[in-house]
Amino acid sequence: MNLKAETIWSILAVLSVFAYALGHFKLISTFLVAILLISTFLKGQLISDYFMGLKETRLRYRLIPTLWLILILSMIAVAYYLPSLKTL
Amino acid sequence: MPKVLDIKEPYPPGDFAIWIIVYVELVTFGLLFVGYAFSRRANLQMFNDSQLLLNKNIGFINTLILITSSFFIIKAVQKIKNMTQHTSYKSSIVASQWLLLAILFGILFLLLKLSEFSHIFAQGITLSTNTFFMFYLLLTMFHFMHVSLGVIILFNLYQKTKVQGYTPQEHRGLETGAIYWHLVDLLWIVLFPLVYIIR
Repeated sequence: MNLKAETIWSILAVLSVFAYALGHFKLISTFLVAILLISTFLKGQLISDYFMGLKETRLRYRLIPTLWLILILSMIAVAYYLPSLKTL
Repeated sequence: MPKVLDIKEPYPPGDFAIWIIVYVELVTFGLLFVGYAFSRRANLQMFNDSQLLLNKNIGFINTLILITSSFFIIKAVQKIKNMTQHTSYKSSIVASQWLLLAILFGILFLLLKLSEFSHIFAQGITLSTNTFFMFYLLLTMFHFMHVSLGVIILFNLYQKTKVQGYTPQEHRGLETGAIYWHLVDLLWIVLFPLVYIIR
C-alpha cells in the first residue's frame, strides 16, 4: 500500500498528539506505556518506509531501521516493566 | 514456472555513505536511549521528579515541527522527481520554497530548544546535577547539534535547487540531505516519549 505524504504526516501528527496527551493529562500508566511504545514503533516505521524511502528498496536495507526500532523499544520496555531489584 | 520480477530498488535512495552515517547514528543514540532507560530503572523517583522540570509543551511542539519539516522535504524531493523539461524552472522554484519552509521550521526547532536550555540553565542545572539531567542534556544537545548541521545542509540544498541544480535523473545530493534530515526526525520520535512522557 502506497500512502501519500499528507497521509503519513497526518498519522504522525495524530500519534504525536496521543503521546503528548498521555503526558499532559497525566494518563500515563503501565498499560499505556506499552501502547505508547507501539505507537512510537509505528511512527519510526512510517518515517523509515515512506520519508526515508526504504519501502521501495530491498528488504535487507529496510530491515535495519526496523530491527533498530524493535531492539531499542524492547529494551526500553524491559527496563520499564522488569520488577525493581528492590522488590525482588 | 515464471520468475517473479524483483521490482525493488537495489540500493536505498541517496548516497550510500549517508546510510553508513545513519546506521552509526542509530547505534550511538540507541545506546544512549537504552542507557537512559536502565538508569531510570535504578533511580526511579529521582528521574520522575527531575522530569517534572521539563517543558512537555515545547517537546510536543518540536515534535510537530520536525515531522512537518520532514513532510516539506518530501514535497521538495517529489517536485524534483516529477518535473519535466517544460516545468523545470517552475518546479525547481517550488521545490526550493518547500526546502525554505523546512529550513525555517528547523530554525524554529533550534530557537525553542535554546529557550528550553536557557530555562534549565537558569535553574542552575548542569550535566553534573544528577543522572537524569546528564542524560537529558547529553541526548538533547547531541540532537541539537544534528539539527544545526541539518539546517546548514538544507540551506545548501535550497541554494542548489533554486538554480535548477537537480533534475529527475540526477538528484542524489538532494536525496542524501533529505535522508539526514529524516534521521534527525526519527531520533526525536524516540527521544520525545522516552525523556518527556514515560514515567
